[in-house]
Amino acid sequence: MYFRDPALSMSIMMRQEPDRFMASARDTGHVLRRCAFLLAFFWLIAAAPAMADNRAPYIPTSPDIVLEHVPSSTDPRVRHFDQLQVELRRNPGDMQRALKLADAYIDYARSTGDARYLGRALAVIEPWMQRKPVPVPVLLTHATILQSRHFFADARKELTSILTRDPGNAQAWLTVATVALVQGDYPTANDSCVHLAEVSGNFMGMLCTAQLRSIDGHAKQAYALLGFIEDPGPKAPATIKAYIEGLMADTAMHLGKSDEAEKHFKAALQWTPGDNFLLADYADFLLDQNRPRDVIALVKDYTQSDTSLLRLVMAEDALHSPRAQADIAQMQARFAAMEQRGSHVFQREQAIFELYLKHDPARSLELARENWSVQRAPQDMRIFLESALAAGKPQAAQPVLDLIQQSHLQDPRVDRLLEQASAAQSNSGATAQTAANP
Amino acid sequence: MSHECFRLRAPLIGLLLLVSLPAFAHKESDAYLTLRTDPANAHALHGQWDIALRDLDFAIGIDSNHDGAITWGEVQAHRAAIENYALARLTIKGDGLTCEAQPTTQKIDEHTDGAYDVIFFDSICGKEIPSKLTVVYRLFEDVDPYHRGIITIHNRGITAGAVLGPENPGTSLDIRKADRWGQFTSFVVDGIWHIWTGIDHLLFILSLLLPAVLIRRRIDKGNDNGPGSNGSGHWNGAQTQIAGFSGGGAIAAFRPNARYEWVAVSNWWPAFIDVVKIVSAFTLSHSVTLTLAVLGIVDLPSRLVESGIAISVIVAAGNNLYPIIRQRVWLIAFAFGFVHGLGFASALSGLQLPPLAMAASLGGFNVGVEIGQETIVLLVMPIAFLLRRTVFYQKYVLRWGSVIIIAMATGWLMQRAFDVLIPGFSAILPK
Repeated sequence: MYFRDPALSMSIMMRQEPDRFMASARDTGHVLRRCAFLLAFFWLIAAAPAMADNRAPYIPTSPDIVLEHVPSSTDPRVRHFDQLQVELRRNPGDMQRALKLADAYIDYARSTGDARYLGRALAVIEPWMQRKPVPVPVLLTHATILQSRHFFADARKELTSILTRDPGNAQAWLTVATVALVQGDYPTANDSCVHLAEVSGNFMGMLCTAQLRSIDGHAKQAYALLGFIEDPGPKAPATIKAYIEGLMADTAMHLGKSDEAEKHFKAALQWTPGDNFLLADYADFLLDQNRPRDVIALVKDYTQSDTSLLRLVMAEDALHSPRAQADIAQMQARFAAMEQRGSHVFQREQAIFELYLKHDPARSLELARENWSVQRAPQDMRIFLESALAAGKPQAAQPVLDLIQQSHLQDPRVDRLLEQASAAQSNSGATAQTAANP
Repeated sequence: MSHECFRLRAPLIGLLLLVSLPAFAHKESDAYLTLRTDPANAHALHGQWDIALRDLDFAIGIDSNHDGAITWGEVQAHRAAIENYALARLTIKGDGLTCEAQPTTQKIDEHTDGAYDVIFFDSICGKEIPSKLTVVYRLFEDVDPYHRGIITIHNRGITAGAVLGPENPGTSLDIRKADRWGQFTSFVVDGIWHIWTGIDHLLFILSLLLPAVLIRRRIDKGNDNGPGSNGSGHWNGAQTQIAGFSGGGAIAAFRPNARYEWVAVSNWWPAFIDVVKIVSAFTLSHSVTLTLAVLGIVDLPSRLVESGIAISVIVAAGNNLYPIIRQRVWLIAFAFGFVHGLGFASALSGLQLPPLAMAASLGGFNVGVEIGQETIVLLVMPIAFLLRRTVFYQKYVLRWGSVIIIAMATGWLMQRAFDVLIPGFSAILPK
């Protein structure tokens, strides 16, 4: 599994002005920091609805004004699920058709990042979710939806029950491996990859193992493995080719090979242009490379996506662009809207936003800590370390250090943060010792 | 690099497609519902409901030409469809009674994730001044279970909120302290209107009251009256002799074909006593069942109750044509009052209030029903009394009036009991 999942690489800023964050965090002191946290909190709670009130409903001046874009029937994916919808309406009891439609929705949600299609997929399989027992393929689709919405524990529970009923279910093993990797549970991920190889053969087994190897200190091996399957044959769909290329890009980044990484990103985007996860992942890479202009060129047409907008804002901020403030406000409003519905899927992104755009390390650390209880991918390690360092509390990120000690993750960007963290800890340790022995 | 053994095998092609990666770029579907109480009108709520055009397009199709662009013209063209779809999936209740939502304006608003259709509507809680507001939200629950309704209620400077969805579709909010006098008077008005607009209750009372200004008297003419000879002459207003009561009664009692005629009462007193008896009996019985039903102690299917009311009208009017109960008409009022009480309760079904407020409301409604009823009595009886000696009253008003009432009530009975739709009857069917 590779975590193309939009991670933010903000170490570029840390590298540019690492002292600014550290110093400001130390200097402001406890009281001020708490005030800042409270202010940010109230801004979120109070100001967001106030901003919403400023926006008044209006009557458009002409009937020709375009208000919204929806998936058009020129999109083959849309035609595909329109067709499936019609078929399902004709045969409402046909589980296979329902699953096909649900899977098409999930796939669309995945590639565009439009989470609305996850709910639509759930609605399609709902009648079969009422059956006792729930048919295995339906439960599998349901677990995929749960996983996509970050309900990892619930997803794993369902997958485990699927695998007791159907131990040869390759998709279930792959999804368990995926979830386990996100949760930082590498032994389970490894176990699932072995099972997957048994039930589905070399290709899937290698891909699964490469995902794990990429982040458990064996990135070199992973990269070699991926080289074997880089060309899965002419029959393989573009999404799989893009997936493998994206994974190779990530692995190359873990190895510190920027040129290779960029080559793979470009190849991946050629297979699936506009893919939401690739855009975010590539944008993070470019931010790390201190290339904000390239980031803007990459994501400017996709700002309906929150992950793309965040990268755009990061780049604008790095360039001191005049648009930055308005876009930061827009990003803030989107987080507030998510907060309002009680959704906490974006805590990683919000932590990044609070740290680098709102300059509120305390709030960021709070979010990174909450995020850590849900997901523990390398990107989650980074933001947790970065916010802890900026907040002047490197010891708060101890869970990250513990996991890396177990997993042996190697990544130049994370390694640098680890060094800073241990330096900061020994510094404060030294200070404490000095204080103890005047 | 390409190694045959590592090529993807066909059955596995679908496998990877489902590995969703763990983050999404847009929030899921939300709609924003704001309700404001009206300081000037205690019965009214003003609503604003923002629903994403993308969601509406998915559910009911707004993009008519499927070009992927929704224009203001397309949104306007679907206004009725949008409003019907949305408002049918929202229930606003005041103290458990459903408030009627009427759309007023359509606008557009921009939210963080795109353009929203804005439905402005007024929700009128007609039955009472609600002290507790309940919102039951079911929008999109069948097409997107992750949709959430974000509800904000503004009430006299206090704001309350809730996030509703399929697993948690309802929320309640106390919006004002129970104003018992206000509640009482509000329900008095409701009770009055309920009687005045409930044509079946009206016709039942009228059927019972019309003969109160007349006396049913046996015509003692011996034994020559065959079944077919009941001419209209017997309906004339002649002041027949008081005599004949003595001997004939005993004979008539054994004669199924005994003849009777209507005779006007000589003064208002006996008529007044009659009316008081009928109205009191009706009040007594319908109050009992109204209370029992609203408190939920008695619960009969409305089809049964409504059919019973139709039958009661047929019986009351039929008794004017072929009297079975001659002296104690109040018995009919009393017996069928129980059924009518259950009918009144339908206007209040679901009412949920703390005990004292419940007593105030129920008492108010009962008083209202009484006032409505007495008004009819005061309006009709003086006229009936003045006209009581005329052929017009005895023949047309009483006889043919009763026939028409029976015809109408029979129609209702067919509709209500057997669920057959009779053209024209729905228009005069009380609701």
